[in-house]
Amino acid sequence: MSVPAAPPVPLTGEIRPPDSVSPPITENSTVIVQGLSKWYGDVVAVSDVTFGIEPGVTALLGPNGAGKSTTLEMLTGLLAPSAGTIRILGKPARGDVTLYREIGLVPEQETLYPFLTAREFVRLNAVLQKLPDPDAATERALGIVEMLPDADRDLRGFSKGMRQRTKVAAALVHDPQVLLMDEPLNGTDPLQRARLIELISRLGKEGKTVVVSSHILHEVERFADRILVINRGKLAAAGNYRAIRDKIDEHARAVRIRCSDPRRLASDLIRDAALVSLRFEPSLDGGLPSLVAETGDVRAFYRAVPAVARALDIHLYEIAALDDSLASVFAYVVGR
Amino acid sequence: MLDPLPILGLTLRQFIGGRAIRIVFLFSLVPALFALIYLLEPGGTTAREFFAGIFQEFIAPTLLPIATLILATSALGNEVEDRTMAYLVLKPISRARIVLEKFAAVAAAVTLLLWEGTLLAYLIAMRGDAGDNIDQLLAIFVAELVGVVGYGALFMAISLIVPRALLAGLIYSLIWESLFGRFIPGIRLISVRHYVQSIYVRLIDNPAIELDEAMRLVPALIVITLLAAATLAIATWRLRTMNLE
Repeated sequence: MSVPAAPPVPLTGEIRPPDSVSPPITENSTVIVQGLSKWYGDVVAVSDVTFGIEPGVTALLGPNGAGKSTTLEMLTGLLAPSAGTIRILGKPARGDVTLYREIGLVPEQETLYPFLTAREFVRLNAVLQKLPDPDAATERALGIVEMLPDADRDLRGFSKGMRQRTKVAAALVHDPQVLLMDEPLNGTDPLQRARLIELISRLGKEGKTVVVSSHILHEVERFADRILVINRGKLAAAGNYRAIRDKIDEHARAVRIRCSDPRRLASDLIRDAALVSLRFEPSLDGGLPSLVAETGDVRAFYRAVPAVARALDIHLYEIAALDDSLASVFAYVVGR
Repeated sequence: MLDPLPILGLTLRQFIGGRAIRIVFLFSLVPALFALIYLLEPGGTTAREFFAGIFQEFIAPTLLPIATLILATSALGNEVEDRTMAYLVLKPISRARIVLEKFAAVAAAVTLLLWEGTLLAYLIAMRGDAGDNIDQLLAIFVAELVGVVGYGALFMAISLIVPRALLAGLIYSLIWESLFGRFIPGIRLISVRHYVQSIYVRLIDNPAIELDEAMRLVPALIVITLLAAATLAIATWRLRTMNLE
């Protein structure tokens, strides 16, 4: 059964084409990227990207493989661009080691020195930064990420979340002006995640330039003042998070609902204005069918379904978005 | 951790916890095993002759380059491969300092292991008259140290340039130096081994111990020093320009 409903909301013109999405380079820009490209043979990883980043938190958002990590690696100087220039705090990103007094990097890769304790690892970073009191700086950094209770444990026994926090402590130990974080929330549990988000927001409010890459859309909302959307190596959109999110929410998306009485729920849901279409999907194990709803306003629909179910005394087992992958959403947002 | 030389301290700890150093340690005991066999059946050879033979035929051509190769390629190459190098290079320190501290760690670790194995073999082979041949032991110690410096710098540079550095190092020492060096005399002049053996021969200054076309002591030391300086400069340049993804 398929129930036609209101037509999908079309994408309107707030998201501009790539050539005009670049955030302006101003005198406040601490990170200036101009015409940045990186290619490997015939494969283009980053293509002619230009942007300026000011103090505060900027999210580098895009699906896996979009070019976020490559861009961050070029910002740190680990990777040489094929074309273009990067200046951070007025210095070239590659070739001037004095810049690293002002930069901290939280790399995505998990490998650490397994034989060191967290305290030794952070202290090593403090010593290499030539800090006058590496012990005090180490304690401060470990305290910020709440790793002091586990500071004397070997890194080899750490969970992914603990490794992430230790890497953050190492990146913060010298109190850098610019902090580059590649998927810092990966592997963290909800509590650690909340605290890291709080830390990222606080650093932004203190006037640091924090660039955080992520492929999780809703995560970014909680800490980023601005976002740069990267897709297929190009800067696809830039600006305030909410404007871009609103565009994404306008995208009709499929939601699967499993409940104790799908037919009765369907009969009421078809009256919902946010619904585009509705169909039943048979269960593979011979049980009750699922409902697959296409909605033009996913947030409103997520609010409506539990309310309808509660009114009809129907138990909800699952509400899951089916096409919520960033790749499809980004393709919609940037109109390609 | 050593604060003035943190990368040296870090590298030594990497070695201590790793498999490579255990292999080198076991390998360094092979001369002692030969010394034990010699004790059981001297076959008319004096202890001094035996010890000279073991240096010229085993330590210099095989043990010294391979032990150095194993640790030198792991010091920089492994950190590039597992991407921990980012924690060192993204610091306000020169790439030359990273290379030099890594090199110092390699040189210290390999030299100590070689000296420990050589001393043990010496004590076993010489038994009661160890004091009479101390000049020979010291000459081997110096030659081993010089060899570690030459090979260590060369193999560290190779580890940043060639993807399979261990294989490249083995080809250099076993095929280039050992095989080709035997048939083509000119190859000796571009072989670390020839300078190491020359230094040993010149230091003991004994007509009974010979080496074809042995270099004089000072030129041999200068060549090894220049080789180490040039290859460490190449390693520094490579670390500065390479992509660390």
